[in-house]
Amino acid sequence: MESQLTMKKNTKTDVQSDKKVNIKRFLKKPIIYIALIVFSLLNVYPIVWMVINSFKSEKEFSLDPFFLPDTWRWENYVEAWETANLGTYFLNSIFVAFTSVIITVLFGALASYFLARFRFKMNKFVYVLFVFGMIIPIHATLVPMFILMNKLGLLNTGWTLLFPYVAFNLPLTIFILTSFMKAFPKDIEESAIMDGCGIFRIFWSIILPMSRPAIATVTILNFIHCWNEFSFALVLINDESLKTIPLGLANFAGQYNTNYTGQMAGLTMVIIPTILLYVLLEKHIVKGMTAGAVKG
Amino acid sequence: MHILQRNKLAILIGLIPALLIYLVFSIIPIVISLYYSFMEWNGFGAMKFVGFQNFIEIARDPIFWKAVKNNIYVVVASVFGQIPIALALALLLNRKIKGGKLFRTIGFMPVVISTVVISLTWNMLYNSEIGFINRFLESIGLGSLTQNWLGDPKWAMISVCITIIWQFVGLYFIIFLAALQNVPSEVLEAAEIDGASGWKRTLFITLPMIWDSILIAVILCISGSLRTFDLIYVMTNGGPAHSTEVMAIYMYEKTFSSMRYGYGSAVSLYIFVFSLLLIWVSRLLLQRKSR
Repeated sequence: MESQLTMKKNTKTDVQSDKKVNIKRFLKKPIIYIALIVFSLLNVYPIVWMVINSFKSEKEFSLDPFFLPDTWRWENYVEAWETANLGTYFLNSIFVAFTSVIITVLFGALASYFLARFRFKMNKFVYVLFVFGMIIPIHATLVPMFILMNKLGLLNTGWTLLFPYVAFNLPLTIFILTSFMKAFPKDIEESAIMDGCGIFRIFWSIILPMSRPAIATVTILNFIHCWNEFSFALVLINDESLKTIPLGLANFAGQYNTNYTGQMAGLTMVIIPTILLYVLLEKHIVKGMTAGAVKG
Repeated sequence: MHILQRNKLAILIGLIPALLIYLVFSIIPIVISLYYSFMEWNGFGAMKFVGFQNFIEIARDPIFWKAVKNNIYVVVASVFGQIPIALALALLLNRKIKGGKLFRTIGFMPVVISTVVISLTWNMLYNSEIGFINRFLESIGLGSLTQNWLGDPKWAMISVCITIIWQFVGLYFIIFLAALQNVPSEVLEAAEIDGASGWKRTLFITLPMIWDSILIAVILCISGSLRTFDLIYVMTNGGPAHSTEVMAIYMYEKTFSSMRYGYGSAVSLYIFVFSLLLIWVSRLLLQRKSR
């Protein structure tokens, strides 16, 4: 009898708490949405604000900086493209980014192959040496890098930026690729050797194709790093015709700091390809940029 | 194992290209800075050995210590700004929700954009005359709150830190979200049956289970925000009146404006040691806590 009573009581409180939960759930969704929408607006609005205003005349912008323009002035874009020298910067950035990514991934993959698949005396040491590069504070090397490049006669050339970019992207590349290649089963090489394959042949026609997902990750990751890099370019490049986009833009903004809508048009032209690329390759990009953290 | 013995040469050929570039352009510069830090050198004239003079002069320069303080300010603001916001957002989004993917895409976006572009964009938002923030405050009748955000030493550091937080919240948001999705749902269900409320479940089960990720994020955040250079260089160049100057800006200024390469090299070494020390200490502290 008593136990029955408590059971009844229990079910009653259960119903009550269910109701409470329901009300909570009912309120919860909107609150979550509001928080997420506020966050998204904070993320997107600065960029939208810039894009909208990049189409205005200087005068219209000073009268109304919030809403859509009355007339969409595409001239701003033509003007910005020419005064900012964006064409040259784009070409330089494309060359530097593509070349250093190719070199980094190729050399990095080759080194990773030996570090992951071969046993030799210095293996551990070489690996640790590379991985140490991930915690070297880059800006602490700016001054010595300048001195070194100066001595080597490598300041202000088309090749200059490739060296630091490759050097500083190798550690993460090797870290990611080595851990990926280590996971392959051992008998891959054995059967290939039976078939008479050489070591480099195994790398090129077996290991490299098998590592494709990791290669994609490091390629995108390195590309973004090189494309956005500013400090080394600032220190090592002076020549207007060799500047990459970040360096050129920083200059452009300094020189034309009264022509705000023109500046915005320039920034928009730079930002749009990045965002398009991001939307297209989001999964890979996110994976690459968090890979160090997730595995580290 | 027979392939190994035959192939010392192959291993050498395979490692040397990467090793050479890496050593010459990443490790050697640190060694070089050690050498030059004992010199007084303007870049082209004769070099003069000055012993520890540069190091002593730096340690006595109040502006350098101001830069150190600002560096720590950025680190603290990043850790206590980025991590909690990112964690809260990740906890909110860690459920089946319409548009969840869109929120994630938008959340991560700033991480991909070049720091220079972000700095220039925010410069315009902060601009005291035409900037969005002041114009917005005026238009809603709060004109008295407008500030010269980047031009006033009182506000410049705060403004810069807000931009830094904005830039990287998305990175930690995604890291936490990935970690949260690895928490097995059975554990949470079991806790629910045992009567643990939503808050309790988050506090006592979810958070401990993703503690490792939080730890990694904090360390990443510390080492990342220590590297702040581009953003401040473009936004304020350390000004006004050194109020946003960090160590790297100080180093750049001394080396390339005052043409003191030896002195700049010595500052580089300070940065190197400070950074490694701070990362090491934070790793130690946080790891002890997790045990």
